[in-house]
Formats: sequence, structure tokens, C-alpha cells
Amino acid sequence: MNFAGDITVVAPRDAVFKALSDAPFFASCIEGVRNLEAIDATHFRAILETRVAYLRFKFKAEVELTQLSPPELIEAKVEGTPFGIVGRLTAITMTRLSETGGQTTIHYSVDATITGKLGSMGQPVLKAKAKDMEKHFTERLVAAFAIGGRGTAH
Amino acid sequence: MTPFDLVEPASLKEAIALIDPDDPDVRPIAGGTALMLMMKAGVFRPTRLVSLRRLRNGLSQITSTMDGELKIGAMTPLTAIEHSSEVKRAAPVIARTMRRLANVRVRNVATIGGALAHADPHMDLPPVLIALGASVSIAGISSERSMTVEDLLTGYYETALAKNELITELRIPTQGNSQAVYFKVTAGSVDDWPALGLAAAIVSEGDTVRSVRLVVSAATSKPMRLTAAERALNGQIANEVHLKRVADIAAEEADIIADIRGSASYKRELLRVFTARAVRAAMEPRGAPH
Amino acid sequence: MKAIKPQVGHQVGRSLPRLEAREKVTGRAEYTHLMQLPGMLQAKILRSTVAHGRIKSIDTTDAKKIPGVFGVYTSDDIQTVIPDPYYGPAFHDQPILAIGKVHFVGEPVAAVLAADPHIAEQATQRIIAEYEELPAIFDEVEAAENKVLVHEELKPAGTFADLKHLKGRKGTNIALDFRLRRGDVDKGFASAAHVFEHTFRTQKVLHLALEPYASIADYREDGVTIYSGAQSPSFVRTEIARLLSWPENRVRVKVPYLGGGYGGKLYIKMEALAVALSMLARRPVKVALTMEEQFYTITKHPSTFRIKSGIDKDGKIIARKCEVWWNGGAYADVGPRLTQKSGFTASGPYDIDNVSIDSYALYTNLTPAGALRGFGIPQLVWAYESHTDMIARALKRDPVDFRKQNLLHDGRPQATGTILKNAAIEKVLDRIAERLNWKKPFDRGQGVVRRGRGLAVALKAVISPTTSVAVVNIAADGSATLYCSTVDMGQGSDTAMAQMVGEVLDMPAESVRVVPRDTDVTPYDMGTLGSRSLFHMGHAVRLAAEEARDKIAALRRELGEPEGSNAPLGDLFRKKYGMQAGNIVGTGIYKPDYIPPDSSGLTTNATPFWMVAGSGVELEVDTETGHVRITRLINVADVGKPINPKIVETQLSGASLMQLGFSMFEKMHVDGGQITNASLADYKIPAIHDVPPVMENMTVDAVQDNGPFGAKGVGELATFGVSPAIANAIDDAIGVRLTELPMTAEAVLRGLYVKNNRPLGDD
Repeated sequence: MNFAGDITVVAPRDAVFKALSDAPFFASCIEGVRNLEAIDATHFRAILETRVAYLRFKFKAEVELTQLSPPELIEAKVEGTPFGIVGRLTAITMTRLSETGGQTTIHYSVDATITGKLGSMGQPVLKAKAKDMEKHFTERLVAAFAIGGRGTAH
Repeated sequence: MTPFDLVEPASLKEAIALIDPDDPDVRPIAGGTALMLMMKAGVFRPTRLVSLRRLRNGLSQITSTMDGELKIGAMTPLTAIEHSSEVKRAAPVIARTMRRLANVRVRNVATIGGALAHADPHMDLPPVLIALGASVSIAGISSERSMTVEDLLTGYYETALAKNELITELRIPTQGNSQAVYFKVTAGSVDDWPALGLAAAIVSEGDTVRSVRLVVSAATSKPMRLTAAERALNGQIANEVHLKRVADIAAEEADIIADIRGSASYKRELLRVFTARAVRAAMEPRGAPH
Repeated sequence: MKAIKPQVGHQVGRSLPRLEAREKVTGRAEYTHLMQLPGMLQAKILRSTVAHGRIKSIDTTDAKKIPGVFGVYTSDDIQTVIPDPYYGPAFHDQPILAIGKVHFVGEPVAAVLAADPHIAEQATQRIIAEYEELPAIFDEVEAAENKVLVHEELKPAGTFADLKHLKGRKGTNIALDFRLRRGDVDKGFASAAHVFEHTFRTQKVLHLALEPYASIADYREDGVTIYSGAQSPSFVRTEIARLLSWPENRVRVKVPYLGGGYGGKLYIKMEALAVALSMLARRPVKVALTMEEQFYTITKHPSTFRIKSGIDKDGKIIARKCEVWWNGGAYADVGPRLTQKSGFTASGPYDIDNVSIDSYALYTNLTPAGALRGFGIPQLVWAYESHTDMIARALKRDPVDFRKQNLLHDGRPQATGTILKNAAIEKVLDRIAERLNWKKPFDRGQGVVRRGRGLAVALKAVISPTTSVAVVNIAADGSATLYCSTVDMGQGSDTAMAQMVGEVLDMPAESVRVVPRDTDVTPYDMGTLGSRSLFHMGHAVRLAAEEARDKIAALRRELGEPEGSNAPLGDLFRKKYGMQAGNIVGTGIYKPDYIPPDSSGLTTNATPFWMVAGSGVELEVDTETGHVRITRLINVADVGKPINPKIVETQLSGASLMQLGFSMFEKMHVDGGQITNASLADYKIPAIHDVPPVMENMTVDAVQDNGPFGAKGVGELATFGVSPAIANAIDDAIGVRLTELPMTAEAVLRGLYVKNNRPLGDD
């Protein structure tokens, strides 16, 4: 599953970079992330719990920031397992920031794979959900910077 | 599959009472054809299923009223709708659509209420029903309400129903001079889920479109009215120049989703082509086969 | 002295309905998937979620606690009863449960036993397996670069002499490379007037028999009985005996009917796991897979075929270079055999002096690939018949004439050097052309819907050498019973064999009892595969029946019966033994001659018979949507003299419809090694509405001189030409050439848009 896009926010690049590399802020922009724990500066653990209609998905995820090159590049690797069902979620995310005027464009790409039963038969639902989460993420991010400075918007 | 409770209430009231509105793992089950697939896929693991089986008697009538409105009980199996002479008279597009809908084994078991509550955007009936202007009656714990099918279906597997509401009836208003068609465009085998569904209902006077409803499905997250395309077509002469413009508008207005049945670009082309084909077909003199 | 006139009439050549038809349609036929044994436990499998990885740990504690769970097992447990639990027909590389590493998403890692399969399934979801992920490789051409290795070391079985040199080979994903060199292709290309090169690809698809894999093992101290939907019971017996270090006669394999096979149920699938679990549990164990799990068991080989031809100024193909990469998945199964055997005919049914063939079997981190109806030939024909057609069109030659100019004929050497014999290629080509009215003008249309026609012909060498043994047992009342291990998986083999017994013994085929496969009773057969059974087992059956017949004749002579007497057998027994009691038993063993290829892939005896077939297609293309509608599908084959014309017709029809799905829409979608459409809800196979409105299935007038009653096999034939015939017809209709399968409507439309210089977007 691949997602890519551009989000433009009204904020200078440095500020955006700082915000995005702050795990609690980043997590707050993704619907359903809870119990975020920092293991060390680059390793995190969290629960991702979300729904499509009455279908519940709960994953235990581990995130590693694999590359942090201020002010323009953040790469992360996510590995998760669903609760109660055999499977595995892996995702590699790449975020590149570019600045024009006082605005920063966030170029993101996500390459995600789900294996196990969810991956073999649940793809249509998961894809719909991922698209939904992408939209939500964009909205949250734009709103957070629209408030002025970086907010911890919920 | 993990074990679950199966309860079989004898009345609508009892059934509604058994569904906990806050517990997504409790679900009503009618024919079960769609729910079973979700359970096999592991995306739905219920703790309790509330079977509506015993509600069949009161809720599977097909009647047409004096003014030509068609009423279909929510527990009516699709096959009964397929073969009903009332349905054929009131809305022949439904019987035609049934021929390629899933397969005969599914149609024998699946119910119209269950199909609508399932809200899978690939299904064939919802776009047709929206084009026909259909609405549903909904029973809740202490009240009843109704809404159009268009308003009922809100997203991928999402409806406007509260968790403990059940659809009791489908109503299709009299169609008058409206002619409706449905194109199921498959990309794989003939009996595949569609890559694109397109329903059109048009009242025409000669070459002029007096009223039109265009609904796209399968390539979108829910069946959607192509309102900009409808506006461009309404009141117009449906000549090739206008149809091309309307088709282009339709292709741009829908938010197309790519999947294994087709890329977004390809589905957009299908939408462009079939918008024009559907309008042409819906404007053909009555009785012409589609 | 008059010869005894046959009283019953010829049994071969009869279009007899299948002997088991009534049993099947009334629901009485037995299938492994439905069998129950007393005390039986059911197994459910935990499968790998990683395409390539080291197993760090497998925690079964929670699973074991679930009430009703009999036991939870990993390879550690398996190895206590089978110390070296690797199996496979060509390589002993596939472990019963993953050991140390997993090599594809879906690989069996652990198993749960319970009396209730739902409990067993629930328990598998509680097993926690942790993996250290390793880089994975999925593409066959990339795999050949050996930058990411699937296995540390190769493990050839040694059962095939020509694979011995691979033992211990390391540092490569190439399980086998077959090479054939005839003449000098480089010289050929240098002197050619035209040189054409194209690359073709095929996708991962699978058999999807309606009855998924199922095996039951009942282990006792003194022997094990295995019930399995298996196409090669003798192999199962040999392989299980090897795994257990037992003599073969302690392993009994019983095979009822199969709900379809198509090559997927060959060699070992679930049998070894069932045996190992039964040994551990001391109870009968059934391993019965779901439809979804078939996607993780065995599939068809995806392929990449780069083909280059040199044509002289007169239109003769003087050189052809073939490079084929076979995507074998994580375990070899029969892939190396397929790579080699298909290599023999990779250059097609053409008379070419200079041929170079390189065929590589590659390991990748995907579900293993094995035998699927056609055994690699459909993939090769897809390439060479598309390529040949493209050359004809480029040279403005008629596609039929161009082929005829270059076709192989009896008496000429095929690429291996074997002289062609009883290969009615031109007859097949001519018949297809005739049925397509090729010489008549064809209206391609001018509107949105365009029409086109195309055809393709192909050649296959049957797998050799292989052995078949049959026994015909005649009771004292003259009734005949046939014991042979050929598996009737719906192709009608029982009926055909009964017809051959009836032919020799002058009795109606319906009166011959064909005993269900049981290795305690039915003798050795290499396997029901590759369209070999009619020829090989047919000969064995014929020989067995002839021996029985000869013994009866000898008994008559011994008892002084007059020549030409047909006194009933019972009378003869009474004369000799005093009562109507006893048997006459005839045995037949057949193994054809064969000369293995030398280091240049050449041999003067590559195959005991050639398989020849082709297809022709008329179709319509909707140029606004890319949809292709096949209006006529014509399948023509050379089967020698058909034993049962009706069954032959249905085999041609069925094979071509199977191939139609592979051609037009089937595809296993893979994302990060995970199959993402592993269900019949999303992976569609042809159904009644996909059948072309007009289908013609026929054979040409031919004889297989060395075949039983002049016949040879038919099962795979109509898979050969379908794909390229369709691609050729699409090219004919709209000038768009597809070089990858499947030929979806989207692929056609994209081709059209590229041709019109406004390509569709990539999203």
C-alpha cells in the first residue's frame, strides 16, 4: 500500500521540522494513537486503535526514527502486530520538507504492508481506512499550524 | 473464527433491545452473506450476533400502493425481489440488475435490508435505488424515522443508522415517465465485483432531458450522485457535444479510488465513457433492451 | 482356424460417459476433505507473516491453555519424530514446519491439534511468533543477480541424476540452469536480414481446485495409513518412507476421488505434516486447508522470457535465442524439473538451425511454484507465439503462411536434435486456420467496437523417463478388475483405462472394475501429471490385460480346448481346479526409452511422444473501455486416435477455459510478499458467463504409432495456445501488443492510449 502527498502549512521549515520530529505532536495528528511511550530518543511504542464502521482494528506498534536530517528529512520505520489475530504491519515513512515564502510543504510518502489474514482478505477495508487517516492527518496538521506556532492540537 | 453468541429474537422490539448501541462487536445478522465474509477475513469478530431470522414473516412483503409506490419489507430475500412482477412493473431496472448481482446462491439468502445496512460501496443495488429516489423506514428503540437511501449510505461500511436501529422497509416512489438503467462494469471475470457502477434515471421529452439522476458506485467510497454532471445535463438536449461535456464533468467530479480492479485513471475513463452510455441508454424509447 | 471375432465390439474410440459420473452427481463420491476417522484430530496452521526472516521465538503458552486444544507443535517437536524433515521431488529443501527461518509469507510455522477445528483455529491466533526480518526478493530476474539470497545452501534430492551436480551449491538463487546449444546463434544473427527481440512476462496464478488440499494420517507403531487428495500416491509412499526411514511397505496411501488437481496435488503437500502430527499425537490427524490457504501452498511459475530471432531475406527463421527466468518461490517443488523439461521446446514448433536456450529456476520469497496444467509450456508459448506473430506482422507476412514456412515436420530435428515423429503440427495449424476462415476477408469494424482474429500453435515434450505398472486381475467368473495408481482427478482416467482393458479382453468397459488408488494394492506409478497417464499407464494397462489374455489362452491350450474356443473361464477353472475359483493375473510394466540431454541440452530421444495443439480466437475490443469479448474460441489438438472422444473434447474445453482465466484476468496480487487477494471473493476464476459464446474443440486425424491403440495424452493440450492467440487477435483488431499477462481491459486501454500518444496517468 503506497500513499504519497503534499501538505502545505503556514509555518517556517525549521518549526515544522521540530514539530514533526516531536513524537507526541506527530502522534496527536494520527487518529487513534494512544499510550505513546518513548523508549529512547529514536524508539517509541504506541497503541493504534481505530475503526471502520463497526470493524475494530487495534495494533501494538513500535516506531523507529531511522533518519533525522534537519531541516528537511525525517524517515521512520513502523512495525506493528494486531491484537488477537495473527498478522504484521510494517511501514516505512519518508517526509521531506521544502520551504517557499513563509510556507512549508511537507512531501510525505508511506509504504505500508499488512500480512496475515488482514492482509490477505482485508485489503479493501484497510485501504479505505488508510485513505481516511491520510485525510485526517492532513487536516490535523494544517489546523495545528494555522493556530500559530506549533500547537498540540487534539 | 472465535465463538460468539447467536440470539434469535421473535420480534422487532426484542431484536432492537438486544443490540447494545455502544458495543461494535454486537451486530444484527439477516442473510449473513456479507457478514460471513467479514468474519472469515478476520476483520469482524463478533461477541454476539442478533439473528433477524424470526422477523421474516412480518418484514418480507412486496406491495405496490394505489399511487404506484413500491414497498418492500427489509427481510425480503433478493431473489424474491428479482422475480416479483410488482417490481418488474414498477422498476424494471431492479430485475435487470439482479441478473448479474452476486450469484443465485447469494441472492436466495441475502435480504434487501441487510444489503443496505452493509453499505459496501461495490454493491449493485444502492446506486440503482438512489437513482430511483428510494427511501427506507428505520425502527429505533422508541421511535421510527425515514430517510433516503442516498442519505442512509454515508461511507465505506458506514450508514446513518444508530447502532441499535434496524431498517424495516424500502420504499420506491412511483417512477412515472422516468427510465432507469444500471451499468455494472467489471474488470475481471463477468461475475466479479464491479470496478465501476453507474445508474441513471432520466425523464426525457424527445431529445431533451427533463430530469436526471446520475449515481456512481464501486469506484468511490460510497455511491454518489454526480450532481455537477446532473446540473450540466438537466434541461439540455442530449446530443453528442453535450454528452461529452457532461461525461467529462462526471469524470472530474467523483473522488475515484484505485484498487486491484483498476487504477484511478482507468476508472475515471470508465466513468467518462459510461456516463454517456448510461444517459443514451436511459433515453432510449421504452422497451428497448439494455 | 478362424480368429475369435470380438463379441463386444471396440471399447477404445467409444464416447462412453465416465464410469463414476452417477456417483459424483448424486453426492456419493468420496473426497478426502469430507472424510472422518474415529478419534481424529484436526490441525490448523500458524503461518509466517514475514517474507524472509529468522525465527527468534515461538511462544505457544497461551495457545496451549485454550480448552479443547490437544497440542501445539513447532519444528522442534517434528524433529523428535522425524529428525531430517525436509521433502520435495527435486530438492529436499522444504521443511514440514519452518526450521530456524521462514522464506515466504504464509509458510507453516506451527500447528495446533484439536478435535474441533474452530478451537484449533482460535488457538493458532494465540501463538506469538517473533521474527528478525531479512531482506526479501520477489522478482525472478532480480533474484538471478544473487544480491539477496533466499537459501544459504541448495539441497538437491539426488533422486534425479541430472541434479546431483547442484549439491552443496551456495551463494545463488538459481536452483537449476538448463542450457541448450544447437548450431551457432551469434553467426545466425550476424547473417540475418532482420533481427527481432522481445520480452514477455507472466504472472502468479494458482490451481484453485474446488476441493482444497486435505490429508489424513493414521499412524500406528507398525505402519501409517495416509488418506490424501494426492496425484502421485506412489511418490507419497516413497517420500514418507524415506522421511521415517521405513521400508515402503509400511506406508499405505489411499486416494479417493480428487475435487480437481491440475498439478497442484502432486508430490508432498500436507501428507508429511499430517504424518508427523499423527506420530506426535498418537491419533489420526487431518490437515484440511481452507480456500485461502491454497494461496500459500503451491502456484504457477511467473516467468520472464526474452526471445530473439534472426530471419533471413526469404522469411526463414535461422536463429533463435531464448532466455527464460522461472519464479519458483521459496521452495523448489518440481520447479527444476519444469525448468529443464520445458527448456527442450522453448524455441517453439519451428525448424531452426541455430538455437540457444537458457532456462533458469529461481528461488524467491513467495509461495512456492510447481506443476500447473501445462508445466511451463503455456508461459513459453505465450512468448514464442506472440513473438512469431509480431515478426510476421512486422515483415508484412500472413501469420499463417509465415508459420507454415517455418514449421517443423515429421522427420526433421527439433531443437534438441530429436527427430520429430507423429507430431501433426501442420494439420493442427491448417485446421485452426480453416475454422477461422483465415483465407476469407475479415471485417475488423470501424466504430467503437473493433474485431480481430489470431492463432497460435505449440509443441511439448512429455516428461521422461517415467514408469507405470498395472495389474489386471480376472476372477474365476471372468469379471475383470484393474489395479493402477493413476489418479482420476476428473480427467476421466478410470474410464479410459477401463476402455483399454475392455478392448484387449473383449468385454464392455463398464464391466471392468477400477480399484481406487491404494498403494497396498495398486502398483507403482510415477504420477498423474504432464498428460503422461494415457500413454504410459495406458501401455502398462494394455500389457497387463494382454498378459492376462495370453494366460487364459495358454490355459485353454493346456486344457486341450480347440483353437478358437471361447468356453467361459469358469469352465476352464472347473476343468483345472475342480471348482470355479481362482484368479488370472496379468502385470504390465512400461517405461519408455529416453536419452538424457548432454551438456548442450541435445539428445536424439527427448520424449516418447510429442504433444501438439493450438488455438484460434475471434474477438471484439471495445476501444473506449478496453474490454475484450471473445466471440469464438477454437481449440485443435493431436491426440493420436482418441480413446474416448467425448472425454477428449471436455478436456480440451476445460483446459482452454482454465487458461482463459490466466490470460484475461487472474492474478495473485502481492504486496511486501503478502498475497492481498487470497480469497474467491477477490480472486476470480472463469465462470459460466466467461465462456465464449462459440467454442469448438476438436482433434485432427492422426496416429501415435508407439501409443496404446494409437493414442496419446490430452489433459494439458488446450492450455498451450490460448494466451498468444488472444494477444495476436487484439493486435489484429487494434494494433496494440500486450506482452504481459493478464490481458485486462485496463491493459488494453492503456495500450491504446499509448498508441494514440496520450498515455493514461499512473495512479
